[in-house]
Amino acid sequence: MATFKLDGIAVPFEPGDTIIRAAHRQGLTIPHYCWHPGLSAPANCRMCLVEILPKPGQKPLSLDILELDKKTGQYRPIQKPKLQPACYMAAAEGLEVLADTSEHVMRARHDVQEFLLLNHPVDCPICDQAGECTLQDYWLEYQKTPKRMHDEPVHKPKGVEFGPTIVYDGERCVMCTRCIRFMEEVAKDPVLDMRERGNLNEVVVSPGRQLDGHYTFMTEHVCPVGALTTKDFRFKARVWFLRSAPSVCQGCATGCNAHLDYDPRYNKAYRYRPRDNEKVNKYWMCDEGMLTYKEAHDGRVLEASVDSATRTTAQALEEAKALLSGVPMDTVAIVLSARYSLEDNWALRELGLVLMGTRNVYVSGRPDGYEDDILIHHDKNSNTRGVAELVPGAKSFEALVDDVAARRITHVIALGGSAPVNAGPLGAAKLVTIAAHGGPLTQLARVVLPATSWAEHSGTYVNAKGMRQIADKALEPLGASKPAWKQLADLATALGYEPSWVKLKHIRGQLIGSASPDASTPSLPTSASAE
Amino acid sequence: MEPLDVELDEGELELPAEPMHLNMGPSHPAMHGTVRMVLELSGETIAKVDVQVGYLHRGFEKMCERGTWAQVFPYVDRLNYVSPMLNNIGYALAVEKLCGVAVPERCQWYRMALGELARISDHLTCDGAMAMELGAFTPFLWFIKAREMVWDILEEETGARLTHSFGRIGGMAEPPTPDFKKLCRAALPQILHLLEEGERLLLNNRIFLDRLENVAPISGPDAIAMGWTGPCLRATGVAYDVRKAHPYLKYDEVDFDVPVGTKGDTLDRFLVRLGEIRQSKRIIEQALDRMADDGPVNCDDPRFVLPPKSDVYTTIEGTIRHFKLIMEGARVPAGEVYSYTEAGNGELGFYLVSDGSGTPYRARIRPPCFQIVGGAQRLLEGRMLADIVPTFGSLNMIGGECDH
Repeated sequence: MATFKLDGIAVPFEPGDTIIRAAHRQGLTIPHYCWHPGLSAPANCRMCLVEILPKPGQKPLSLDILELDKKTGQYRPIQKPKLQPACYMAAAEGLEVLADTSEHVMRARHDVQEFLLLNHPVDCPICDQAGECTLQDYWLEYQKTPKRMHDEPVHKPKGVEFGPTIVYDGERCVMCTRCIRFMEEVAKDPVLDMRERGNLNEVVVSPGRQLDGHYTFMTEHVCPVGALTTKDFRFKARVWFLRSAPSVCQGCATGCNAHLDYDPRYNKAYRYRPRDNEKVNKYWMCDEGMLTYKEAHDGRVLEASVDSATRTTAQALEEAKALLSGVPMDTVAIVLSARYSLEDNWALRELGLVLMGTRNVYVSGRPDGYEDDILIHHDKNSNTRGVAELVPGAKSFEALVDDVAARRITHVIALGGSAPVNAGPLGAAKLVTIAAHGGPLTQLARVVLPATSWAEHSGTYVNAKGMRQIADKALEPLGASKPAWKQLADLATALGYEPSWVKLKHIRGQLIGSASPDASTPSLPTSASAE
Repeated sequence: MEPLDVELDEGELELPAEPMHLNMGPSHPAMHGTVRMVLELSGETIAKVDVQVGYLHRGFEKMCERGTWAQVFPYVDRLNYVSPMLNNIGYALAVEKLCGVAVPERCQWYRMALGELARISDHLTCDGAMAMELGAFTPFLWFIKAREMVWDILEEETGARLTHSFGRIGGMAEPPTPDFKKLCRAALPQILHLLEEGERLLLNNRIFLDRLENVAPISGPDAIAMGWTGPCLRATGVAYDVRKAHPYLKYDEVDFDVPVGTKGDTLDRFLVRLGEIRQSKRIIEQALDRMADDGPVNCDDPRFVLPPKSDVYTTIEGTIRHFKLIMEGARVPAGEVYSYTEAGNGELGFYLVSDGSGTPYRARIRPPCFQIVGGAQRLLEGRMLADIVPTFGSLNMIGGECDH
C-alpha cells in the first residue's frame, strides 16, 4: 500500500484518503473540530493545519509575513510555510507531512485555539460537555496561555430550543458545522444552517421548521463542544462520574453498537452514545434507540409475583412447580423471546426441549414498527435472527394464541413480557413468565420471575445482518432480578431437573456449536435437531 | 506499714526460674506511635524483645492510587505528623522531578525556611518527650513552649498548626505572608533561649545523664548496615545528611554543619538533635536573608499549577485550566522516580510511578524510621527494662510514616 510520512512515521493510505483520514485509521490523531470521519470535510476550523515539506528541488509554498521583533519593537519581513488543512489535503505517495514536530503547526494550533476561545463564555461549571469537551482538551494540549483579549465578548443567543429534543447555545458554538452537515448528509433533512459572518456566526433552524425527526440526538453527539445539548441529558449528570460499558441497542434489529453510560454510585443508566462500528451503525444512532437506555429502569419487573401479588422468588418457584407438575408435556409450550439474549433463549430451549421434553416452541417479541433506509429496522426486536437460528422451526406467537384457544396448549413458560399481537386469549393457559419488563405476558401470568435487563448482564444478540454482538454488563441487578438464564436454571431445579448450565461460560460454550459465529450460514441447533 | 520481721538474705529469695513475658504497648504512654513490644524478661533484663509495628497502618500508598497527584498532599501530612511540612516538600519535589519542573528561587528559599521550622518542631518534640518520659517534665514544657512558637508561625503561613497540606506541585499553596520574615526572626532567638534553658536543666542532671549515657549504643557500620539515616545514624559519627550529600533546593548555597556523635548511644542521639536545631536556625536565617520579598512562588506551568482565582472566575482559559487540574488532575509524564530528602528522622524517599494519567499509578514511601525501628530489637536485647523508655524515645518512631 502507498504510504506518506507524518512526523516521520509511515502512514499507509487508500486512494482518495485525506491525510487526516489515513492518520485516523492508523490511530494517529491530528487535532480537529470540524472534521468527522462520517461527514464531508469543510476545512473551516483550521485546527488540523499541517506543514507539507516541498519535494526535493521544489520551491516551498510560503507566505510573506511580518514578525514583531520584541527586542527592537520593529516588524521585520520574514517567510513562513503555507500550512494546509489535513482534512482536505489528499494523501500522496512519499508526501512528508509535519504536524506535532513543526513549530509553525504548533503555533497555528495555539493561535486557532486562542481565536476559538475569544468569545467563549465562562461556562465549564454549568456546561454538560465539561469533561469531554474538545475545547478543554486542546487548550491544555496546544494553547496553555491565558486570555489576552479583555474586551466584552460577543454575546449570542443562549438556551435556544431547536426542537423537542435539542437546545442550542450560540456562545459556546465554534461553528464547525458538524450538526449542519450531519442533518444534510446523513439524516437527509437539511434543516440546520448558519447565518451571519465572522464572530456573529450562529447556527439556526430553517424558518418555519424545528429540529425534529429521528436523528436529532446525533447533532448533539457530533458537536465537539457544549453548544448543542439534549433535553434528555441536560443538567442530569456530570460526565466524570459516569462509567461506560460497551452495549448493543435493543431498540430494533439493526443492533447499533453503543456505549451505555451509567453512574456506578447510584446504579443508574444516564445515556447511550454511539460506538463506532463501520459494519453496523458507522458512527450513528437514532433518537428512539438512544433513548432506550431508559428501559434499564422503566417498566421493570423487580419482584417475583404469584397472581399479581409480590412473593419471594422461592415462593414463586414453589408455585411454578405446583403449576407444572404432572402436566402432560404435549400440552406444555415454551415461548422464546426475540428481545432476549441468545444465552437466555438457549436456557429456555434447553429446559423445554431437553429437560422437560416438550416440542411446542413459539417466539414472542414486539410488533413491527417504523423503518427507514438509514438505520431504523422495522423489526423492533434485538435478537429475532438469533432465536430463529436457535430453534429454526419455532412457531409464531399467533399460532400460540390459536393453540391456547383450541386447548391444545394449557401450560406456557414464557421469556419476556411483550407480545406482537393481542395476547388476551393466553389468559386461558397457566402461564409462567420470566421477564425483565412488564407487558401482556406478565399481566396474564400466574407466576412471574424477575429477570435482569440487557444492561445488567452480558448477553449475545444477533442483528438483522446476522452479526453476533455482545452487550456487556453495566449495572448491578436491580431488585430481586437475576439473569433470565439463571432464573431458568433455578426453575429447572425447582421442577426436579438437573440443569446443565450454572455459569454463563457453560452456555457460551454450547452456543459456539449451535450457530456459526457470523451466522451467515446457520447450522441447525444440536439439541433441537435431536428432538 | 509494719516492717517485715523476717530477715531476708538475697540468696534465700526464691526467684521464679521461668522468664516473664510482658506486653508493652501498643497503648502505652512511652510507646508513642502505637507500637507493641513483646518482652521476655529475665528479672529486669530483657532477654528477648519482639518489636511489632503496623498498628497505625492506613494503606496510605494504596489510597494515593485513588485521587489525583495533588490529593496526595493531605496524606503525606499524616506520615511524620510532627514535621508535616518536610513530607509535603519531599513529595512535591518527587512529583516535580518526575514532571521535570523547577520551582522559582523564592519558593525554594521559602520551602527551606518552612522545612527547617518543621525540623525544629520535630526535634523539640522528640527530645522533650524523651525527657518527660524520664520524669523531667519541666524541660518538656519548655520545649513544647518553643514548639508552639514554631507552630504559631506555621499557622500564620498555612492556616493550620499541624496538617498543613501546604505543598503543591510546582510551588506552594500561598506565597509567604508579609510578616513571615519578621515572625521568624523574632521567634528563633526565643526558641533557642528556651532550648538552652532546658538543655542546662537536663545536661547538668546526673540522673538524666546516667539514664542516657552508654545506653543502647550502636556502631556506625552496624547502623549503615541496617539502613539507618538521619540523627540516629549521625549519632554514631557517620556524617551522612541528604542535605549535604545530595543537596536539593538551595542547601548547597547555605552554610551549616552536620552535628555528629561519637558513641551512637542514646545521649548522642539526644545531643545530635539539639545540635541540629541550632543548625536549622542558621539555615532559616540564611534563607530569610536570601528570599526575595516579591516575585512568583509557583512556576507558571499550566499543566501543573492552578491559575489565579480571579482568572478562573472571569476567563474561559482560566476556567479550563482549573477544571482540567481539579477534575482530571495534573497529568504527570509517564515514568518512575525516586526522590529523597532529609526529613526529621532521616532520608524520606518517595518512589512514584506514573502511567501518564492524572492519578499516581503507584506511590511508595521510604520512611526513615522504618529502618530505625527495625534496629530497635538489637539495641534493646540485653538491656534493662527501664532502658526501653529513653532508647525508644531517642529513635523517634512515628507510626504514621513507619506503618505503610
